[in-house]
Amino acid sequence: MAALGIATADLKASIKAWRLWSLLGWIEIRQRYARSKLGPFWLTISMGVVIGAIALVFGTLFHQDMATYLPMLSTGMVTWTLLSTIITEGCNVYISSDKYIRQVRTPRLIYVLQAMWRNFIIFLHNFVIVLIVLGFYGIKSWETMPLFFPGLIMLLLNAVWMAMVVGLFSARFRDLPQIVVAFMQVMYFITPIMFAASALKKHEWLITYNPFAYLINLVRQPLLGEFPTMLTWNVVVGMTLVGWVFALTLTGRYYKRIPYWL
Amino acid sequence: MTRTSITLEHVGLDLPIFDVSGQSLKKRVLRAGRRNRIAEDNAGVVIVRALDDISFTLEAGDRLGLIGANGAGKSTLLRVMAGIYPPTAGNVHTLGKSVPLLDISLGMEDQSTGRQNIRLRGLLLGMSDKEIRAKTEEIAEFTELNDYLDLPLRTYSTGMRVRLGFAISTAVDAEILLLDEVLSVGDAKFQQKAKARLEGLHRRAEIVVIALHSNEAIRNACNKAIWLDRGKLMAIGNTAEVTAAYEAHATQA
Repeated sequence: MAALGIATADLKASIKAWRLWSLLGWIEIRQRYARSKLGPFWLTISMGVVIGAIALVFGTLFHQDMATYLPMLSTGMVTWTLLSTIITEGCNVYISSDKYIRQVRTPRLIYVLQAMWRNFIIFLHNFVIVLIVLGFYGIKSWETMPLFFPGLIMLLLNAVWMAMVVGLFSARFRDLPQIVVAFMQVMYFITPIMFAASALKKHEWLITYNPFAYLINLVRQPLLGEFPTMLTWNVVVGMTLVGWVFALTLTGRYYKRIPYWL
Repeated sequence: MTRTSITLEHVGLDLPIFDVSGQSLKKRVLRAGRRNRIAEDNAGVVIVRALDDISFTLEAGDRLGLIGANGAGKSTLLRVMAGIYPPTAGNVHTLGKSVPLLDISLGMEDQSTGRQNIRLRGLLLGMSDKEIRAKTEEIAEFTELNDYLDLPLRTYSTGMRVRLGFAISTAVDAEILLLDEVLSVGDAKFQQKAKARLEGLHRRAEIVVIALHSNEAIRNACNKAIWLDRGKLMAIGNTAEVTAAYEAHATQA
């Protein structure tokens, strides 16, 4: 319980220091794309090319109708990229901020929020693709659209607690980032992004027991004119609550050790 | 109004040094399946006792100098007082806002302009946006960098970087100021200016702790001194006595 208190206090201070982590997040983006004319839109372009290629190959292989396949694929890819990069980059939140952590006393979770913010900005750039695809094939239903926003918030909340956990363990065990990258790669293939969930008839358990599938669905379905099921909501809300308590307790428990691990 | 103070009670600090095997999850998992005590003891984690049973109290008005050989624990002690390293034994009680100035090049981003760097470093040191805005001009003036402030930092010379870093760091209002040998900056003309600015900073702060190599500087700036040797407190007291003891020890050895 004391551990939870330490982490919650840090979380409050971290949120209050939003100016700092949003600036740090911006700086990283600026650094990555310094002096390139298109900046982060290069990511949008490469994402667009990848989506186009997958649509061409898999759409043909699975005999998909482009009018349903392309919107599903693009929303899925853009959402997945947001989720998976927050988690894989989450491994390095403390490791790569060691110069700050060892020089000044700032709240520690700002570094997790910084990774979230950075990837959210990139997500907004990538979202252009979704807008283009949806604009081209038409929006199925405006009614479901508002649910996109709470869905996105839930996805971000979950990505943040996962980043908190892997970031903490990665600081101590430096093999973990590699494991996480490999794990997310596998999840990319078994989460319904490139294929429709209904295509997995015999192995439906891959989706039933895949927490990422629920997170993706919660964001994607409203964009595709579907209402996420009650089950999806329940699973995600449950995951958020359990995950946050777990991540905060863990962070609080090892809070003091972080500077020693770097 | 609360009085500014720092109290250290039997502070000890063990720094774990993780070698490659100590930080590997693979090694951990492999070890878990083995019942060999020797292997477990050789976990690959070396522990260095950086500070050992240190107790003292500083109150408003105190100017403390830390002396000792390289690796005696001066910087570590500063970090403990700043709350960066939580002590592994004992307690640190701090009343008042403490600001550590340990590394002059902290948070300098090459692609950002001088002005953007002022804001970044200001935020890192815990200033509010309002405070930063109010101080930007004064900082800009002090650095004498003029138009360079709007250029990215990668175009700066080493000396210009140091000027900027020094100017931002020393603009902060701290009740407790923790300094790690920041005196030697820039060319001769800038050194004079820097010295005057540091003195002003000292006057504003209620407690100042400086780690220094030069006994002369400590005698000038401090009323109290601590002599550290390999993490142990060798002597604490008024500056003249402690520096004399340290000098006697140094010439003897």
